Amino acid sequence: MSDNEAIRMLIAKSCLTLDDGDFSAYLALCAPDYAYRIKAWSPELRNDMIWLEHDRDGLAGLFATLPEHLQRSGRLSRHVSTATIEARENTEAYDVVSSLIVHHTDLDGRTQTLAVGRYKDTVAWVDGAILLSAREVALETRDLGIGLHVPL
Amino acid sequence: MSARDKSSWEQTPGAPAGHFVSGLVYTDPDIYRDESDKIFSNAWRFACHASELPEANDYRVFDHDGQSLVAMRGEDDVIRTFLNVCSHRGAKLLDQPSGNAKHVTCFYHRWTYDNHGQCTGIPRASGYASDGVKKESMGLREVRTDVLHDLVFITLDGATPPLETFIGPALDRFSEMLSGQPLEVFHYNQAVLECNWKAWHETNMDLYHEFMHVVLRQTQVNAMPMEDRKLIVFEGGHGGSGGDLKAAYDGYEGFAGRGDDVPPLAGMSATDFRFINLFPSTAIISRGTVVRIDTVTPIGPDKALLEMRGLGVQGEPDGHRRVRQKHHNQYWGPFGRNVPEDMVAAESCADSFRHQAGRYQIIARDEKMAGQDDAILRAFYAEWGRRLGRDPGAPV
Ligand code: FES
Ligand SMILES: [Fe+2]
Repeated sequence: MSDNEAIRMLIAKSCLTLDDGDFSAYLALCAPDYAYRIKAWSPELRNDMIWLEHDRDGLAGLFATLPEHLQRSGRLSRHVSTATIEARENTEAYDVVSSLIVHHTDLDGRTQTLAVGRYKDTVAWVDGAILLSAREVALETRDLGIGLHVPL
Repeated sequence: MSARDKSSWEQTPGAPAGHFVSGLVYTDPDIYRDESDKIFSNAWRFACHASELPEANDYRVFDHDGQSLVAMRGEDDVIRTFLNVCSHRGAKLLDQPSGNAKHVTCFYHRWTYDNHGQCTGIPRASGYASDGVKKESMGLREVRTDVLHDLVFITLDGATPPLETFIGPALDRFSEMLSGQPLEVFHYNQAVLECNWKAWHETNMDLYHEFMHVVLRQTQVNAMPMEDRKLIVFEGGHGGSGGDLKAAYDGYEGFAGRGDDVPPLAGMSATDFRFINLFPSTAIISRGTVVRIDTVTPIGPDKALLEMRGLGVQGEPDGHRRVRQKHHNQYWGPFGRNVPEDMVAAESCADSFRHQAGRYQIIARDEKMAGQDDAILRAFYAEWGRRLGRDPGAPV
């Protein structure tokens, strides 16, 4: 498998594992120094905002406490289309940009678009496996309705 | 000790007047219009924080009572507010939520205005020579504006008593936090909620629902004796914490040590929890290191626009800002642990009242102004009833 193919599969898997709530499988795709962040631009403040920021342990803690929280019912479906994969010079890392659409399907089976944005990922080979070492979710959507606890 | 039949379900709850609210207050279209006439068209309402207009000629657009308004900082440093409507044929003047403009030019026929609201230019004005339309009488509609502790308030009504009278002493316990160091908004987002505006505001006034949030069950409910918590209500329907509530942050995974790496806001300690709900629709809530301002604006009986702001200290080092953002997001961010849960609650109750499956909200907890007393909710509805001339328990 080419690196590009492996990277596309990694990113697609990161979506499916989150969609399925299979958080340990998601974390298995993340390097030990994984850095996760959700950002949005505020035209009101004319500034960037950080909406969620965690390292790998922080995310693991978030996932662990999730079952005790009141959550929007239904399921999320993350869909990505990877647009660019650029190798970083002299490293085994790549910068990858994908466009993202998240749909929400409620308990009655009705689906609506919940959010759009981009994944700006850094991926790298670690001990023979290609892993996510950083993800920034740059959201266009700023009204997420009744909101979420789960990373997108 | 049994389930209730139809008539029992629809009867008023067996609690004194003022201790329950009819579901019709959330759904009835006449009540909704009445709220516009008797509350939103004349009460003072929080518009934005002064830090959102840091420079001369900065402007900030917002919605109020179904209308678009714009607050502008003049070169004289005075903040003025206008309807965001062109005097000529009513086009919306400013489209962006914020920006900087010395002059505002209407896109439609290019009339221009300055940030004192004066009409400064009418293209080919000679065409109006015979009918008396002239720029001197074509200024924007100015809306009364006042600023208290850097909070910008507006009222649509020229006859409303001054802001200080309207607020009374309700912000006294916040003056040091809000003015003791210059604050700055670092977080802003909106959510359109499928519920009446009051259903959201109730989540900020109702302490009893601490039990809904696992974070509060683990950090707040047992952090101090319930009877030592002091609540306070004010004339005009405002209410909040009288003495600070406490939080024990090590009770929740990932929250321990909150406050170790950033100084608290002026007059606060890192574990203090202080809040005030200003009638009709604004809540100011501080958790020691960070403060949130929440404003809810009716869109329809069943729809509300929630605006959420998070504030830190102006000019603080990046490291401090990052920590405050984190503290803000832990509870109140769009991916936080509390606010998304509150939204679920507000929409869930709305769903029951929408077709009168739910009939009443019970707001009867009496803990002598301590613990999880419903006194703040009762004070809100007493003012609501006074203004509308309706009993919240039997409003139609
Ligand atoms: S509507 Fe604004 S210039 Fe005509
Ligand atoms: Fe809450």
